[in-house]
Amino acid sequence: MSSKLTIAAGAVAAGLIIVLAVVLILVVGGGGGGDKGSATGDTRTPTTSPADNGPAGSGELRLRGPDPLVLDPAVAQDADSATYIVEIFSGLVRLDRDLKVQPDLAASWDVSPDGKTYTFHLNPKATFHDGRPVTAEDIKYSFQRALAPETASVVAENFLGDIAGAKDVSRGRATEISGLKVIDDQTISLTLDQPKAYFLYKLTYPTAFVVDQRQIQANPKRWTQKPNGTGPFKLKEWRLGERIVLEAYNNNVLGAPKLQKITFELQGGSALVDYQDGNIDATGVGLDDLQRVQDPSDKLHAEYQQAPRMSIDYIGFNTTTKPFDDPKVRQAFAMAVDRQKIAEVVLQGAAPIANGILMPGVPGHTDDDKTLPYDPARAKQLLSESKYGSDIGQVTLALSGAGATAGPYDEALVQMWRDNLGVDVQIQQAESGTFFQDIDQGRYQMFHIGWIMDYPDPEDVLDVLFYSKSRQNSTRYTNPEIDAKLERARVEQDTEKRLTIYRDVEKQLLNDAAWIPMFFDTAHVLVKPYVKNFVVPPLVVERYRDVEVTR
Amino acid sequence: MDGLAAYVVRRLLFLPVTLLIVSFATFCITRWGPGDPISVYSGQYRDPEAFERVRHQYGLDRSIPEQYGIWLKDVVLHGDFGPSFRFRDRDIPEIIGPKIWVSFRLSIYAFFLTFLIGIPIGVIAAVKQGSWLDPFLISVFLFFQSVPALVTVPIMVLIFAAKLHWLPPGGFDGMFSTSMVIPTLALSLPGIAGIARLARATTLGTLGADFVRTARAKGIAEFDVITRHVVRNSVVPVMTTVVGLSLVGLIEGALFTETLLGINGIGRFAFESVNTRDYNVVLAIVLLGATAFVFANLLVDLALVVVDPRIRAGRPQ
Repeated sequence: MSSKLTIAAGAVAAGLIIVLAVVLILVVGGGGGGDKGSATGDTRTPTTSPADNGPAGSGELRLRGPDPLVLDPAVAQDADSATYIVEIFSGLVRLDRDLKVQPDLAASWDVSPDGKTYTFHLNPKATFHDGRPVTAEDIKYSFQRALAPETASVVAENFLGDIAGAKDVSRGRATEISGLKVIDDQTISLTLDQPKAYFLYKLTYPTAFVVDQRQIQANPKRWTQKPNGTGPFKLKEWRLGERIVLEAYNNNVLGAPKLQKITFELQGGSALVDYQDGNIDATGVGLDDLQRVQDPSDKLHAEYQQAPRMSIDYIGFNTTTKPFDDPKVRQAFAMAVDRQKIAEVVLQGAAPIANGILMPGVPGHTDDDKTLPYDPARAKQLLSESKYGSDIGQVTLALSGAGATAGPYDEALVQMWRDNLGVDVQIQQAESGTFFQDIDQGRYQMFHIGWIMDYPDPEDVLDVLFYSKSRQNSTRYTNPEIDAKLERARVEQDTEKRLTIYRDVEKQLLNDAAWIPMFFDTAHVLVKPYVKNFVVPPLVVERYRDVEVTR
Repeated sequence: MDGLAAYVVRRLLFLPVTLLIVSFATFCITRWGPGDPISVYSGQYRDPEAFERVRHQYGLDRSIPEQYGIWLKDVVLHGDFGPSFRFRDRDIPEIIGPKIWVSFRLSIYAFFLTFLIGIPIGVIAAVKQGSWLDPFLISVFLFFQSVPALVTVPIMVLIFAAKLHWLPPGGFDGMFSTSMVIPTLALSLPGIAGIARLARATTLGTLGADFVRTARAKGIAEFDVITRHVVRNSVVPVMTTVVGLSLVGLIEGALFTETLLGINGIGRFAFESVNTRDYNVVLAIVLLGATAFVFANLLVDLALVVVDPRIRAGRPQ
């Protein structure tokens, strides 16, 4: 989930303390590998055995939590809010901790042979926290509400827009989604504008979660302070900026959580000190403490875990401005960067070097290095062969942040371009309020930024960021050949063929140096030994249901 | 005291005018500046068409005077400060109220400590002028004034929290907890030097006055001369002015201290709100600050009348 303004540079403390966001400090997120989930081609997925409502859980998990902005699933799009939303609410389908699509409120679904119509069969045991059964009408209301202009959601169209007629609702031309049909209380069908292999993934996003119409209409402004959700945990207490307490919902459709209660403290100083004092049961580890906990002789080492996150840190080029409109200049810049050295010296091994665009766990990812190699001699040669020769003019790298210095990571990049290419790159820091907007408007030559996947499908990075007509194409990369391949991959129903197309696109983008992929994100956490099944999934997905505390 | 009452009423009548000017200026400055809240809020989702739809929904696509008119009407008629673009589930007073309360409680010890230490130090330094004590005291507190919270807070956390485990590493557990120690020290130490120097200067000025010589000539004990005659006549009036200005600081919060200690106070929140272009929240905080400033000044004027009978409010001196 996104809106992380950071990745490349989160500026805390009045912008004076630059957090190297390659290291994820917050304990948020989702779990392991994950491939294509359920392929669209096959029909009827198996009904998993939900709700052998086992014994209710006991125990309390105490964590430091991020401060959420909103707990309305229709409008939230930031990872901090999603951390809680995915526990309190749920949708037709869910991603499990391995990022496989699994039944949730829907016990099963059928896909029509043309791949365009999905028919969901609700689980009769699915209920809201107040005990009321979830019906097809609730799903319909929730989707239409998310899209309605009054809801003012910037993401609704992104995640529900594939349903035929959804965009008419979001643009105020209709109030009903034409592609959505309530067949009976327990059955609902969704017809897409085109067969889309990744559609089920989009339904796992909070925008598609179910909300209670009665509650919202009775209390339109304040319902999120005590939301009647359908997820495994109820919101018991939300003190803005202070504390969030979640309590188990034992009648959840997938069974009672093993925990009774989760307390998130939203404020406090060093989380590591609090962890050592035994006030919290798990914490993220920042770059400053990483070496220490990675040292096998340290007493914290036994409690240390790391987990890959589905996000990438990269340098993006504006491929339409001088000098980066010439691929040779981009290639030269990419080949002049020694990522190994930055990894060792600056990041101290906190994050793996990106061997491509697709992160581990995203279908289509391969283990071989697909990026341009570090080769200063070749880089210099490429630069002199470019149409600008060695006189490429003023070059500026833009970063988000407001510190007195840019931090060792970006300083190292500038140093490498100076040493290996003889080019003096200026650093320009922009505060987060204008950084993204300036990228949208193509005001930068190159920028240091990150991308966080919303769902584990290559479409969510390759198509979204490199399709020439995509609104999110921040590099302004245009290549008709790649466009044609991306269009083909969208509707390709054969998983293997589809992934082959994406691998091919990835390779081509890397050779053309639209980006310099830098590092894949990794979460570093400490977990007390009495906490079982605590994992950090690669994305923000529901993750506390199976955690046990045996203190 | 008719004159005084009239004076207070007149001052209060100016408050709405002041607030109107401040609000219009702030409104224009925030909205004219680069960036906009919808764009910032959307993070990595860059869909300009969706941004436009949401802006329209919030009326952000109207002209600035029109937006200001709507805002003003809502505030005056309904007491509604408009939506926060980030915290959409809450009203603005509900969002900033608890944070101001946190900042207020966080800085109240520091506020008193600054004066309780600063004034005696200044007076002692003045009385001991010429001895080693004067430059020594002033130097010590000048040192603390020169070291910003960005340095003192991490050092204190390192020593008292990370190493010794005497104090929590941050957070805020109420006024009667150990979590108050580090912020109180961080907030009071830099201010002491300023107060001490001011107290020293005014004391020195009064020490040479005729009435002091008279008092000494009458045979009054030196301690009483200083406390009753010197301090009462010089330090108190000047300090009252400074106290008034410091009062505003109580609700404005302390950006660095709050950020470093992970405390959800108003200082840190105001900074975040500016960064995320949460226009209406910024506006509400600025207006609150302006109101506090007007009231603090009024209080100071009234206090001066009490401590210094020569001052007559509302009349030229």
